[in-house]
Amino acid sequence: MNKGVHRFALLVACATFFLIIAGALVTSHDAGLATSDWPLSNGQFFPKMVGNLFWEHGHRLVATTVGLLTIGLVIFLFAREERSWVRRLGLVALAGVIAQGLLGGLTVKLMLPLAVSTAHATLAQLFFCTTVSLAVFTSSSWTKNRPTIEEQGSPAVRYVCAAAAVTIFLQLVIGATLRHSATWDKPLPTNLLLTHVGGAIAVTILLGSAALMILRRQRSETFLVRPAKVALSLLALQLCLGVAAYLTRVASPNDPQPLNPMVGVTVAHVACGALVFATAIVLTLRAFKVLRTHEPALVVQSSRSLEFKL
Amino acid sequence: MFKQMKVWLVLTTIFSLVALVSSCNKTATNEGAAPTNDATAGETYKSTGKEGTVTGVVAYTGTPPAPKKIDASADPVCGQQNPNLSTEDTVVKDGKLANAFVYIKDGTTADGKKITAITFATPTDAVTLNQKGCHYVPHVLGVQTNQKLKIVNSDPTQHNIHPTPKVNQEWNQTQPNGAPPIEKAFTRAEILIPVKCNQHPWMNSYIGVLKHPFYAVSAEDGSYTIKGVPPGTYTVVAWHEGRPTGTEKTMQVTVPANGSAKADFAFGEAAAAAGKPSLEMMPALDVPMIGRH
Repeated sequence: MNKGVHRFALLVACATFFLIIAGALVTSHDAGLATSDWPLSNGQFFPKMVGNLFWEHGHRLVATTVGLLTIGLVIFLFAREERSWVRRLGLVALAGVIAQGLLGGLTVKLMLPLAVSTAHATLAQLFFCTTVSLAVFTSSSWTKNRPTIEEQGSPAVRYVCAAAAVTIFLQLVIGATLRHSATWDKPLPTNLLLTHVGGAIAVTILLGSAALMILRRQRSETFLVRPAKVALSLLALQLCLGVAAYLTRVASPNDPQPLNPMVGVTVAHVACGALVFATAIVLTLRAFKVLRTHEPALVVQSSRSLEFKL
Repeated sequence: MFKQMKVWLVLTTIFSLVALVSSCNKTATNEGAAPTNDATAGETYKSTGKEGTVTGVVAYTGTPPAPKKIDASADPVCGQQNPNLSTEDTVVKDGKLANAFVYIKDGTTADGKKITAITFATPTDAVTLNQKGCHYVPHVLGVQTNQKLKIVNSDPTQHNIHPTPKVNQEWNQTQPNGAPPIEKAFTRAEILIPVKCNQHPWMNSYIGVLKHPFYAVSAEDGSYTIKGVPPGTYTVVAWHEGRPTGTEKTMQVTVPANGSAKADFAFGEAAAAAGKPSLEMMPALDVPMIGRH
């Protein structure tokens, strides 16, 4: 384990989080087409950043920085990281950031078709998840030898954590589709909105259950308890932000332009959603690292196979 | 086994990308097209010298919504050029409504021809849409299909022009300050195409595209005149914007040879609530433009 690699991975994850915020600001300001050019803006690398071009070109500059940081991380991993699967994960991150840049260009060139914009927002979350995972895998708390803990009770916590992470991802996809279905001056589609509310209920049940199960069953295991507490806090915050985002967004079609309360709350909702996802990923990875289930059925199966072979 | 999985993974990825790109290609549909003007062939209209006019006044009954102040601080030039920027969706003066788009939707000429089956020559002069003081001038305008639309930037700042049609080709083009005018044309009839500037999100405009020249936009005093209408009986429509879609009112008029038909319209909450006929000839009908744009 190399501390420098971990710190750099952490930096890339933080920069990616900032990039998600920058992207959300573009969507909320309806600034995605503030210039018809890509990758340059109005033919320039540093155009006059006035009006909505500030948000769109600012997003491109942050994205370029994240791209360069990802290249740096891959170089760092190949120089210092011994585990080949971590190095390969670095390559996956690099492929992700390149694909994300191309998708960003496609959104501009095709004038924000829903499928491409949603794919761009979804891949952003997957890339963030990859950078967070790299930060987890390179941390000393991960590489440190830890005793395996036998899971007690059913269902197994780590599967509930995994189900929560998958559900959060699906909820992020629905959220991205919802956001890109209507600009600030148009009402949100009711069906998608209700689906998103349904997704919020599913996430609350699954992530809430996973975190509470950890707090009850593994209360002495800080390695798991800490992310579980963070997950619960972020979940509560995210639900409040969701309600606030709905209220401000419902009013926005009557506004003359995207106003700061709507922009601020919806962007905070997107950012908090990314943090909830990241925390669920950390929780799931850690749960799978330390928790094991005693499975007598498997032993029986093995002995039967053995008997059969004999 | 692992190799086989890899092959399937690559194939699935390629297929998904192809599907994604193909789904992104926007194809024009007939949804939202002005129903009366898509005749592709027909006899070209020649003036008989007996054409008349449709005139009228568009009123607004009740208290109009107050214009909302726009915060142009994101681009200081806009604040300097136009310190009193405000919304233009309902411009009412002395109970008269400006910026209503009035047009002949369908009908039959006195000699029994459907107005939709007649071809009208495309005007050679261009219609100008100006960006001045960080708003569009005019706010509502009409063009004939294939007629040149000249877009001018009179502001010392950059704009981008982004019409979002349903049946015509969508486009988005940046126009820096001092850049030459952009010339475009819409090939298909469409009522109405919203135009926005993604750099200044408060800027919006509407373009009505028709295959005939029988349209007008109400002036500040609510008046309008549609000239050169062949004698006949027609359905006249007045459209007024409103988020998300806008509202239409329709009526029937008969244009006599060398004469004039009058069609007055009324918008506003009071007109809708009272349900009173706003015309001398026939009551105007409220038709919400759901699904139009």
